[in-house]
Amino acid sequence: MAPPPPAMPAAEAIRPPVVPGDSKINRDLMAVTGTPTLGWLALLLAAGGSMLLAGALWTYQVYIGLGIAGYTHPIFWGVYIVTFVFWVGIAHAGTLISAILYLFRAKWRNAINRGAEAMTVFAVLTAAQFLGIHVGRMWKAYFILPYPNQRGLWVNFKSPLMWDTFAISTYATISIVFFYIGLIPDLAIARDRATGWRKLLYTALALGWQGTSRQWKAHSRSVLHLSGLATPLVLSVHSVVSWDFAMSIVPGWHATIFAPYFVAGAIFSGFAMVLTVMIPLRRIYGLEEYITDYHFDNMARFILLTSLIVGYSYFMEYFVAWYSGVEFEKTSFWLRAFGPYWFSTWTMIICNTVIPQLFWSRRLRTHVPTVFVVSTFVNIGMWFERYVIIITGLSREYNPAVWGLYTPTWVELSILAGSFGFFATLFLLFIKIFPVIAISEVKELAIHERAHARGGAH
Amino acid sequence: MPTLVGIFDRPAPVAEVAKRLRNRGFEKLEIYSPSAFPELDDALDEKPSGVRAWTLVGGLLGVTTGYAVTIWMSVDWPIVIGGKPFASVAPYTIIGFELTILFGGLATLLGLLVVGRLPYGSFGKSDKGYSARFSAEEIGLVVECPERDVAEIDALLRAHHAVEVDLVEA
Repeated sequence: MAPPPPAMPAAEAIRPPVVPGDSKINRDLMAVTGTPTLGWLALLLAAGGSMLLAGALWTYQVYIGLGIAGYTHPIFWGVYIVTFVFWVGIAHAGTLISAILYLFRAKWRNAINRGAEAMTVFAVLTAAQFLGIHVGRMWKAYFILPYPNQRGLWVNFKSPLMWDTFAISTYATISIVFFYIGLIPDLAIARDRATGWRKLLYTALALGWQGTSRQWKAHSRSVLHLSGLATPLVLSVHSVVSWDFAMSIVPGWHATIFAPYFVAGAIFSGFAMVLTVMIPLRRIYGLEEYITDYHFDNMARFILLTSLIVGYSYFMEYFVAWYSGVEFEKTSFWLRAFGPYWFSTWTMIICNTVIPQLFWSRRLRTHVPTVFVVSTFVNIGMWFERYVIIITGLSREYNPAVWGLYTPTWVELSILAGSFGFFATLFLLFIKIFPVIAISEVKELAIHERAHARGGAH
Repeated sequence: MPTLVGIFDRPAPVAEVAKRLRNRGFEKLEIYSPSAFPELDDALDEKPSGVRAWTLVGGLLGVTTGYAVTIWMSVDWPIVIGGKPFASVAPYTIIGFELTILFGGLATLLGLLVVGRLPYGSFGKSDKGYSARFSAEEIGLVVECPERDVAEIDALLRAHHAVEVDLVEA
């Protein structure tokens, strides 16, 4: 016989169960996908608008040519490449949280992994577009792929740009696979409760998942194996991106420290973006019960740690430039700090190494507005870090006779803004269709806790 | 054949009762649960999941493809680049590594589908005894048994803290 249902608190009675025997966790977390509010529509309009504007400007650029970007001798890598590296960096938090923290059995990841994985997928998609935008004649982009062709030529596998193609496309594919596998059980939850077109969508995507023991066993092993594969992958992707620079002979780029320096920076910026997005999300949808200050505290600790690594790397770059005694290196780094781009350099140093030091204080790590402000500064600082590396590096190479200055044009800056619009549009649509928190993982903890609380046979 | 569904609110008793039923020779068992519970992993089948073989084969295929493609292509159109040998294994290791991960990951997804028997043929339609309760917070143990054992299994499920036992097919 079923025990009588417990008395329902007033707050729960407002949202009655959709099906008999439903759970509060299902209702709370699926509620995010409910009817869009005016605020959500306004945000979508702003994000979608800036994305469309960027699309129009890119079409204009294709028509006119890359001349409308601020490229000028000797700087032919500008805001587009800066923004590409920025978004690839952002994409690192999702896999780190999902794969590495999974292997370390850090259960606190459950509340944030879904949102972070989605951000990873969207950030990689955003980044990938910039390669096309940057190359100008993007209809020739397929030249980078090794395919049999009439010329009988093959691509150059000794080039870091080629490695990058493989690294980024592997990362995009594996992130999508990881994201989707994690989503399947939650899609089944949604399927069992939805009606109309949503029912059709969830039914198709859930693949008939019923949570049988065979399915769960295969699922757990798949997640474990994918974590094992994705852990070295996440470390390799930004290493490969860093080699796009480090394999050249440009002063300030040609350094062995680049791979770990870029990976730490990527994790640093990725966590910052997760916080920048999750803090308002938690507030708007009242998810305080699931994403607690404890989660923000842990992420803030990550930011503090990676900020120290990034700060150390900045210091080592200067130290090695001085200690090497190479005139070009010394000049390049001197001009970073005191040359025409001093503003970018000091913004980078202050945002990435000074401001995050606030997180030494536990009180500030759990003070949500502070965490939000600091994470926003980190996002700004990390964009400027790539700007400093790329632009100042190229503007002051060996021969002063070929030095030059670059200023981004309004087209480049609008496309940069559009990239945020694209990312935000995808994320806004995502939260209205899929559960933003991994429901089945949260439930595992809840059911175990309940069994413990009862002192039951567990 | 009659089918009984025992509904539980925690995983440990399900694993226990499933083990007992298997020891008694009941093989037509199924467990539905809303989350992955380590307790239930081996409740119906102690063998390790076959997904690992898929990952391994995918990974090995990836690393082989990575090196084979790069080495063959540089020998097929030999150009000296930076004074390096045509087939420079060191830079090709990056391609080999990336394809290991790519093929290994895709094979893991395939493995999940094959081993987990997805997509489940009837999609929206459910297996015997499945209910939306099992994507809420309850765990179901479905037992197919001969008519004569119904009363005994019903009692066994209840003795193991089943909050409810239903007879779905007589």
